[in-house]
Amino acid sequence: MSNFFYEAATKILNSSITEWKENGGKIVGCTCSYVPGELLHAAGILPVRIRGIETTGTDIGDAYFGPFICSFPKCVLQLVGKGKYGFLDGTIITPGCDSMRRLDECWRKAGEDYEGIVPPYFYYFDVPHKTLPHGMKWFKEEIVRLVNSLEKHFGVKIEDDAVKDSIALYNKGRHLLKELEELRKDQDVRVTGTEAFAVTIAGTVLPREVFTTRLEQFIGEIKNREPVGRGKKRIMLIGSISDDIGLVELIEKNRDAIVVAENLCFGVRYEGHMISESGEPVDALAEGYLGGSICPRMFGKYKERLALLKQKIDEAAVDGVIMQNIRFCDLHGSEHGLFERDLEKAGIPCLKLEREYGPLTETGRIQMRIQAFLERISSK
Amino acid sequence: MRQELLEYNFDWMMGCLMDGGAKAAKSTPKEQQVLMRYMPYFNKTIDMILGEGEAGELFLKMMCRFFDNLLTAHEKGKKIAATTFCFSPAILYAVGAVPVTFEIMSALANMTWKRGAFDYLDFGCEVGLTETSCSSQRGALGAYFAGMTEELDFLVYDTPGVCDTNANSFVFTATYLNKPSYQLNYPQRLNDERTNRYHLEDYKYLIRFLEEQTGNPLDYDRLAEVLKEVEKQDTIIADIEDMQMLVPCPMPPIYNMFIYAGRFICSGLPEYTLALEKMREKVRENAEKGVSGLKSGVEKRRLYLCYIDHYTVDLNFWRWLDDHGISHLGSILSKSFAEGTGYAKELEGSTYSMDTSTPEAMLNSIAQLNARLPMVRSIRGPYDQPNMWLDETLAIAKAYKADCIIYNGTPGCRNTWGMVRPFARDLEKHGYPTHILYGDAFDDRVESWESTRTRLEEFFTVRGLL
Repeated sequence: MSNFFYEAATKILNSSITEWKENGGKIVGCTCSYVPGELLHAAGILPVRIRGIETTGTDIGDAYFGPFICSFPKCVLQLVGKGKYGFLDGTIITPGCDSMRRLDECWRKAGEDYEGIVPPYFYYFDVPHKTLPHGMKWFKEEIVRLVNSLEKHFGVKIEDDAVKDSIALYNKGRHLLKELEELRKDQDVRVTGTEAFAVTIAGTVLPREVFTTRLEQFIGEIKNREPVGRGKKRIMLIGSISDDIGLVELIEKNRDAIVVAENLCFGVRYEGHMISESGEPVDALAEGYLGGSICPRMFGKYKERLALLKQKIDEAAVDGVIMQNIRFCDLHGSEHGLFERDLEKAGIPCLKLEREYGPLTETGRIQMRIQAFLERISSK
Repeated sequence: MRQELLEYNFDWMMGCLMDGGAKAAKSTPKEQQVLMRYMPYFNKTIDMILGEGEAGELFLKMMCRFFDNLLTAHEKGKKIAATTFCFSPAILYAVGAVPVTFEIMSALANMTWKRGAFDYLDFGCEVGLTETSCSSQRGALGAYFAGMTEELDFLVYDTPGVCDTNANSFVFTATYLNKPSYQLNYPQRLNDERTNRYHLEDYKYLIRFLEEQTGNPLDYDRLAEVLKEVEKQDTIIADIEDMQMLVPCPMPPIYNMFIYAGRFICSGLPEYTLALEKMREKVRENAEKGVSGLKSGVEKRRLYLCYIDHYTVDLNFWRWLDDHGISHLGSILSKSFAEGTGYAKELEGSTYSMDTSTPEAMLNSIAQLNARLPMVRSIRGPYDQPNMWLDETLAIAKAYKADCIIYNGTPGCRNTWGMVRPFARDLEKHGYPTHILYGDAFDDRVESWESTRTRLEEFFTVRGLL
């Protein structure tokens, strides 16, 4: 695996972030994929997706969040409380789901007890749950408000032309991720799921120019590799938030399994979804980030999500689907019940896996279930 | 689902229980005794409701009307719309549809069955809902998934981004049962022009959906009629709420539940108005005498429930409050937020008013009313944002002279569990002893009533409240 991508995927404070800060750059953390990174990029700010890796406990998270809450935001708050996100100049909270949006209050309230953990710029980006005309209008207004707020706080001007350039750059990265996904569909797949996932995660925290250049090189390199998946069961991994390559690694530790596709919150759900480079940038961003979104927070889009899964399953010749969700994630958890019903009916074996976020403390249990699932697929 | 449960329809059985209960009100003691033999697990609940005299009887009659509407809807060519307690059913009555509110059905199942709603809760998980999903819908949904109810025609809900677990239950049900659905959606703020416009626009799309589903164009004369009835009901509720501020509180604790149960299933129906009028009469009578609405007549403490109440077997929670001389000052469910309500004076822009002068004004009124129902009003955005949950709780606690505050909910309520600890700490900072209950309002297996009772006793004792 590329050390560069591996380091970015497994460390909160990776070398690119350190370098960015040393050069006096500003960094803003985002809690969800609905924040258009292009806006921050156009302002010369590095957007990074806020993650929960490297936690060893949740004592701080537990002191603010209640007990019946997803462990991902708890791990994030833990890192915040420990000062691991001290490099952030700002944070944008999004109502991605109920657990994540309460990071807003919990982070601010923890800031009353732990000095200096609330970044000077702290913003709530109100993303609607629908794409009807008034929903799109609301979202466009939110984008404009965000632009105004960033300009005011950071003393920058976010020009339309700069946003258009950023959209073009981000699209290049999206195109490359799409290319990587196409390579994974190949029967003679030359990249492991762990590597591919590390690349995708790295894309959420690296400066976009660096990421795009490195990804282009990486794709060129893997095309000349030997196949790595012959004779293995082709697995698709889907579900709720997952930014830990350890889970993919765990699946691929089994000699007879390779992860060839995914549909994860941190993954490549929208890799092929380009943002329009013509017209008004705000319209294009709104259409791309909200209009095209079918993640489970966009209630009522089950059929679209199922169709997307089936398409990916067909294209990548998937043998089985592992559906993972963090405990208390009902959005994904309940939907997995429906996916299981509909995919099994279509002859696609499924495994539902509920787990805790954080260091894979449940490795043994999870591995046992994965192995049993692989046995089931093999016996078909 | 166990075979014996499949023998009788879930909603039909509950309708029969309500009917029996209502009839018991006018029967002789001997007749009552015989009747009660046929409703062994509803005895204590019915006893408590009928113990409220005519108000209890009218409440049961209102419930009977609700069940009669529901159980005969299809015979009468009407559509059944599943909805939630955060959505005003008035609009459904206006378009000629019959509402069924899942949370009310779950609460009833808990109050009336030997095993509460356990079987239905578990069956919900069997078909795919997570065991961490909200019990307030799941308690009824199991029966719907098992086909033990009148068939739903469509679903309407309004909780995405306010309570994702609630919204998720609806979207799961719509998908599982292959029924059409529409969701209203609320921005994080409440009281600004931009948000109000969004509410109205969204509501107009809802109307289109309802017209499509029922095949009936919205009759604005009918809507005006329903809204005027709602206005009348809001005025009575406001009167009761005002008297509830008196010391001692002249309102019996269980009236809170009567008020909001009616609002969630019979808003705009005259049966609800009748029950409210009788309640107001009783509360006024107590107020004039200067006596408490508690059975003992002696008020020891005043409690505000900042979230929801507790509904498991036999209405134990309500009985406990009454037995201990604790006045129930309401909860997030019972406050109407109609214009002019005393507690909302300090919460600018938090209320709605009824204007039936034009179709547009009517739509705006009901859209704004809907936006102020429980949860969608106060937990849509950060709790410490102006006029949200913290401000609202403090304003109510102050207006009603609460001695303490209790949070009670369900483990499924991700949205409040996400911030209830700092919220409770903030209330304490303002001088209100605040207790967080960790049980489930709809599922005794999460924490038995005995344990909940012990925790309540501990709180009141340790904090020197009793």
